[in-house]
Amino acid sequence: MNANADVAVEEAVIVIRRVFDAPRSAVWRAITEPKHVMHWFGGTAFTNMACDMDVRPGGLWRHVMRAPDGTEITCDFVYLEVDVPKRLVWKNSDGGQSGRPASVTTVTLDENGGRTEWKLVARFNSIADRDQAVGMGFSETISAGFDQLDALLKTL
Amino acid sequence: MPDLLSTTLSALADPTRRGILARLATGDATVTELAEPYAMSLAAVSKHLRVLESAGLISRGREAQWRPCHLEGAPLKAVSDWLDDYRRFWDRSLDQLADYLKTMPRDEPT
Repeated sequence: MNANADVAVEEAVIVIRRVFDAPRSAVWRAITEPKHVMHWFGGTAFTNMACDMDVRPGGLWRHVMRAPDGTEITCDFVYLEVDVPKRLVWKNSDGGQSGRPASVTTVTLDENGGRTEWKLVARFNSIADRDQAVGMGFSETISAGFDQLDALLKTL
Repeated sequence: MPDLLSTTLSALADPTRRGILARLATGDATVTELAEPYAMSLAAVSKHLRVLESAGLISRGREAQWRPCHLEGAPLKAVSDWLDDYRRFWDRSLDQLADYLKTMPRDEPT
């Protein structure tokens, strides 16, 4: 399994790539059917208590889990795009009211020789909102200043 | 009322403001100095500074004549930490997903 993740703090975008040794149809089911999602979401440290998914645009994903410190966490998401079995887009349905920044998460699955290439892109808050509003990709909003800020963050 | 992280992210969602922060990372500066690289009025730059100040990303001298701007690192650190947490959550999830896929039934009807 290959794994890499990069965090572009200044862009408020996170990209996480993986390659799974499984066909795309299996990965798709693993991320869209609660009976499967319960087995992996959050990793071993989190306990999944409830998962309801209505996988269609406008449908809700309500997830309840217990964090390592015992805190019960309820996540409410709404699906924005569902393109079986290759693309799934969702966002926080509470618009960040939970105290966590609102994000739009896009998972793209590409099948390659029986393996599945996973790419997750999370865009946070106003940047994502603005992109949606003007209907263009995030890259078009990027301008100067990133490199320095990246260096700056490393010094904090 | 947005949460603090969202306020910070919102303030960062502008290239001019990111440029200003990058400049301040090299040392305190006045509005005039900060405006130099940009083809915009001092008033426009001041507007960006107000956004940064209300997000807690900069502070400004109250006494000095030119009210130099000073970078405040804490909100940036908070955003950075939040993004790290988010990434770690997914890293752990996907580790587990990789394991789960090894045993997940493949041929059941969907």
